[in-house]
Amino acid sequence: MLVLTRKLGESIAIDDNIKITVVQIKGKQVRLGIQAPKDTKIHREEVYLAIQDQNKQSVDTPSDNARRVAKLLKS
Amino acid sequence: MTVQTSRFGQIEIQETDVLFFPEGLLGFSELRHFVLLEDPQDEIFVWLQSTETPAIAFPVLEPEFFVPNYKLTLAKNDLEAMGLKAQEKVRSFSIITIPDDAKLMTANLKAPIVIHLSSRVSRQCVLQDNHLAIREPIFTSLQQRLVQMPNQKFRETSATEKSVPQALSLAEL
Repeated sequence: MLVLTRKLGESIAIDDNIKITVVQIKGKQVRLGIQAPKDTKIHREEVYLAIQDQNKQSVDTPSDNARRVAKLLKS
Repeated sequence: MTVQTSRFGQIEIQETDVLFFPEGLLGFSELRHFVLLEDPQDEIFVWLQSTETPAIAFPVLEPEFFVPNYKLTLAKNDLEAMGLKAQEKVRSFSIITIPDDAKLMTANLKAPIVIHLSSRVSRQCVLQDNHLAIREPIFTSLQQRLVQMPNQKFRETSATEKSVPQALSLAEL
């Protein structure tokens, strides 16, 4: 992993069209501003972890749980 | 070809029904081949079954059933990863989690499974829209839908592409 040190207000450029700026530093929190083309996907890492988590729970679904839903919906 | 499944036994499918996920699903990147199955003992869910690992299967539903105005906005890298061009047909499914108390079931609206119908290249696409929930409670919405449209079956929706993966048929058990 490439590690760079930046001060408040300084930026990092990625390719020609992505810019990440340190907007605010408050205790242990850093606020980043991100300029990128509209098509660039930007997510907090937790989003991916939460999706993985949901996938792992879904895959454990017994077929009986699914079969029960139809009856429950009609009751 | 024959697919072994832990839930539905041994199933015969056409090779042309197999969906190819070049990057797998999130958390399951090693599994690339899946097929859509119907459980003959259930009238609601479709199962996204791994053809490689019998125990891996996700219950899925088309999001239009519980979010009538669901908007699938794919990013450029999703389109490129699937080789998808404008006007080409896709079908999308939400992965569902059904706990033992089924009323607490949730759908992942944030990261639907998208199938490019003509090539069968598929992908779990993470949508940029931050209002979409990863765990959207859907029991009440499904119930309302059942009251409003009692005769429309869950697996037959007019809202989505009709020329569907033919694999939506579960061979005799």
